[in-house]
Amino acid sequence: MNPGGAILGSLGRRRLVWALGLAICFAPTIQAASVQDIANTDWGEQLVRFFSFRDASLRYALVGSVLLGLSCGLLGSFIVVRRMALVGDALSHAVLPGVALGFLWNMSKDPWAIFVGAVVAGLAGTAMVSALTRTTRLKEDTALGLVLATFFAVGICLVTMIQRLPTGNKSGLDKFLFGQAAALGGDDVSLMAIVTLVAVTLVGLFYKELLATSFDPGFARSSGIPAEWVHHGLMLMLAASTVIALQAVGVVLVSAMLITPAATAYLLTDRMHRMLLLASGCGVLAGVTGAFFSFVGRGLPTGPLMVIGASTVFTCAYFMGPRHGVIARWWRHRQSAARTERENTLKALYHIWENGGFRDVGTTLADLAERRKETIDEALGRSRMLAGHGFATVDSNVVYFTPEGRQRAAEIVRNHRLWELYLTNSANIAPDHVHDDAERIEHVLGETVVRELERRLNYATVDPHGKSIPGPRDIHRDAAVRGGDGGVRNPEETS
Amino acid sequence: MSGTENQAAPLEIHDLTVAYHKKPVLWGVDLEVPAGQLIGIIGPNGAGKSTLIKACMGLLPMQSGWVKVFGQSLKEVPTRVGYVPQRESVDWDFPVNVMDVVLMGRYGRLGLFRRPSKVDRNVARDCLDRVKMLPYANRQISNLSGGQQQRVFLARALAQQADLYFMDEPFAGVDAATEAAIVTVLRELRNQGKTLIVVHHDLPTAKQYFDSLLLLNMNVVAFGPTAEVFTAEQLQRTYGGRLTILSEVASVLGAGNGGVNL
Amino acid sequence: MNELIPAFDWHQVMVAPWTEDLELFGWIGLMGLLVTASCGLVGNYLILRRMALMGDAVSHSVLPGLVIAFLWSGSRGTWPMFAGALVAGVTTTLLIDAIHRRTRVKQDAAIGIAFSTLFAIGMLLTSIYSQQVDLDAECVLYGEIAFVPLEPMVTLGGVEIGPVSLVRMAGVLLVVGLLIIAFYKELLVASFDDGLARAMGINPAWVHHGLMAILSIVVVSAFEAVGAILVIAMLILPGATASLITRRLSHMHAIVLVHALLSAWLGVSLEVWLDCSIGAAMVVGGAAVFAVVWAVIAWLNHLHTSQRPPSPTSTNDL
Repeated sequence: MNPGGAILGSLGRRRLVWALGLAICFAPTIQAASVQDIANTDWGEQLVRFFSFRDASLRYALVGSVLLGLSCGLLGSFIVVRRMALVGDALSHAVLPGVALGFLWNMSKDPWAIFVGAVVAGLAGTAMVSALTRTTRLKEDTALGLVLATFFAVGICLVTMIQRLPTGNKSGLDKFLFGQAAALGGDDVSLMAIVTLVAVTLVGLFYKELLATSFDPGFARSSGIPAEWVHHGLMLMLAASTVIALQAVGVVLVSAMLITPAATAYLLTDRMHRMLLLASGCGVLAGVTGAFFSFVGRGLPTGPLMVIGASTVFTCAYFMGPRHGVIARWWRHRQSAARTERENTLKALYHIWENGGFRDVGTTLADLAERRKETIDEALGRSRMLAGHGFATVDSNVVYFTPEGRQRAAEIVRNHRLWELYLTNSANIAPDHVHDDAERIEHVLGETVVRELERRLNYATVDPHGKSIPGPRDIHRDAAVRGGDGGVRNPEETS
Repeated sequence: MSGTENQAAPLEIHDLTVAYHKKPVLWGVDLEVPAGQLIGIIGPNGAGKSTLIKACMGLLPMQSGWVKVFGQSLKEVPTRVGYVPQRESVDWDFPVNVMDVVLMGRYGRLGLFRRPSKVDRNVARDCLDRVKMLPYANRQISNLSGGQQQRVFLARALAQQADLYFMDEPFAGVDAATEAAIVTVLRELRNQGKTLIVVHHDLPTAKQYFDSLLLLNMNVVAFGPTAEVFTAEQLQRTYGGRLTILSEVASVLGAGNGGVNL
Repeated sequence: MNELIPAFDWHQVMVAPWTEDLELFGWIGLMGLLVTASCGLVGNYLILRRMALMGDAVSHSVLPGLVIAFLWSGSRGTWPMFAGALVAGVTTTLLIDAIHRRTRVKQDAAIGIAFSTLFAIGMLLTSIYSQQVDLDAECVLYGEIAFVPLEPMVTLGGVEIGPVSLVRMAGVLLVVGLLIIAFYKELLVASFDDGLARAMGINPAWVHHGLMAILSIVVVSAFEAVGAILVIAMLILPGATASLITRRLSHMHAIVLVHALLSAWLGVSLEVWLDCSIGAAMVVGGAAVFAVVWAVIAWLNHLHTSQRPPSPTSTNDL
């Protein structure tokens, strides 16, 4: 595994098959020096070196990336749920002129001067966005893009001017653009620690206010929570945590460290406090992986690596998230489709039985196929599926209900007919219009709703089409008295 | 609460004017609401019904006039006022469960730095029970139906334990069972001496539900007991010709103040 | 400070670029004009359709398309570049849709995730294959508009027309202009009212994808000149300035062209004076134009409101 592989992997998972093929073609043909370096790396040794805290600069890089992941994930969660993700983007680009001015303050990379300059510039940027949307008819997206690019351009002007100066040439300001975790110093890390500590404390103290204003700002204000102040405080902390992340991630990509870990957590949980924890976790994971690969890759920019790390985690959550992941959704959809299919087969069997189509105690596959308008093979497949769930047994070409199957079938038919009756009686829908709706609803009606329907319909026994609605006694009698009735067949007895 | 505070009207509005982008939406509203009534606000679309509520709650800037709640400004008595915003105003995918939302009703009373206590949780649970949503306390809010969401909002307002309630279209898009349940809760509150001001859009039920009606169309057309106000003539004045004149003038004013037009 | 901001020499800054140094700055100014004009024309539609941040996303995410296209073809030719940009543009839209349609992540976060991922991949490929790609971090950020006059000239029938990238940009502007003229009505309707467009038999989805394709092409052609992030400014600033002044689309297009001219001119002067990145200087010039327009309009508004005759309450008696 090498970083090149990781990138390709990330692309491929996003179904960019073309890109995967393309890049695979390249990997062997191009022997870039840095790629070879990476390929020749002794991974175990590098891992030990990176995480052993022996080397001062590595220690700073590791601690720094943990801190930035923590603070970005924490604050990013709030901007994701407030739908302000792109405000984070604008903010992070807008800090650049502040970085340059902070450098000009005493012509050195004094972390504090740069921090103050950048925070002020970031806040000026967000203030300008709201001034633009308030005083002109420009929409928020336009204002965001405008401020983002304008501030960034001013920043680039200043940075290029500084680099022209004799002292500015080796200023290392270019590190602020794409990030270099290895360039972190002790001062930088202590600044990061302070900001992270403040962020964690403030979120802890004002969690209630942050939650209420994020969910429903109008209600929060009406109950006396100073929503504007919470907003301004959040923006200030956001600017501060963006700025401390700058040196490691870079101006261009720092917004991704705010958005991606938080969005990952958003896919994994339904509670805000868990989202905060998970987002910080994902942020730390992405930060450390990025710093590590940047260290191994010798001079590869850290920012892109951290972002790719974060995106990889997001991709995993996107596909494999337990509740909101694409695979989980697809699986649930499939499960419910399969269940619907089973229940429809059961219903068909019930209808055959009801119409006296059961010979002795079961029905032939041919009858079932006829009823469902299918081939015999399909009917066999469906019956086997029922058998797999214990609802039926299949013997040569005859299908038998098990007691459970009979019970379930009666329930489905009851649901269907109850719903038809309910729609005709209570919603005044013509009897010939209710079937399709009932076809869908019969599979999802829960027991409590069924009880309620029965009560409202005065325990009616006949549906709008004149067919009898199976009552609780019809359903449970068969299950209780095994094989007592023509419709039910105990498997043992048949053999 | 005793003495002078209780004698002051729950809500008094004087010469209230609200404008969006310099286009007036409410003009010179004067209103004094008596205590212990269930009051409906009705009027055509764009008449400023929600605007009136939001302006009373201090959520919109006023161009002129003032609003007093129990004789004081809202900032002095925030805990005496409860609010049910429109259901569409929030993101129902937000990562909170039903209990979290209802607990938010307690935040105003808690003040800074304090966490909801066991007492608050019990209050929230009672409120959920009153709207028959207690079994759903641990559900994520996106898994609720529209009617259930509305009941959660109502429970949150109940948890505020206020004396004056503003409700913005609580009956919009809910099923009949929820509508009946909400009406029951509103009447209970009224019988406890609370004042409720409810934006409503359905005329036939308005007559049934409310003690008093406020007919609104950019300003107060009529306000009084339902039996007196709910007349063909008044409704005609609310929904009829006046609308066109006022909105024409408003759009002229809006255009005049709205900056450069080429 | 004196080192940082050189003395302002009127002749050198305002006159010389267009007289003695025309050979050098003429091409640069013209290139700036072409870039800003084509970006601005497309940007008008982005602003109208509230898709300004799609411009942000696409301008970041063409980078991996560009790098892979260069690696694939081994050259910096026009066609591989366009192909890479188109694929990258389409990928961005698909990714954003895949994230926000299939999960509960909202569109703004989806945009942020998609473009930052693609841009990060692009940056990483750039650093790994820096020898092969001939693109470096500087170019990605600042663009290479300063090198336009040094490029090989395109000759047509023995006559030198201009540097390669300038001719390409001119071609793109021509195509954008022709498309806008040809589909003016359709674009207008589809941008204002999806329902009406559908009723008139215009498929809004096609308009959207067509616009995204044009956006990718324009962005990638401008990319080399001004870099990934400054492109956003070129897309939004002219249109934003225009929409402060007028609400009519045809007037907006005209104002965009004027704005492009002003920002190219101001940009060159600013660069000559301050010796900074030309691309960034052009954006700063354009932003200055925007700021002036904003201030003037605010002032006019102020004059207007201070002598407002009718008060709302007095008209209440009607």
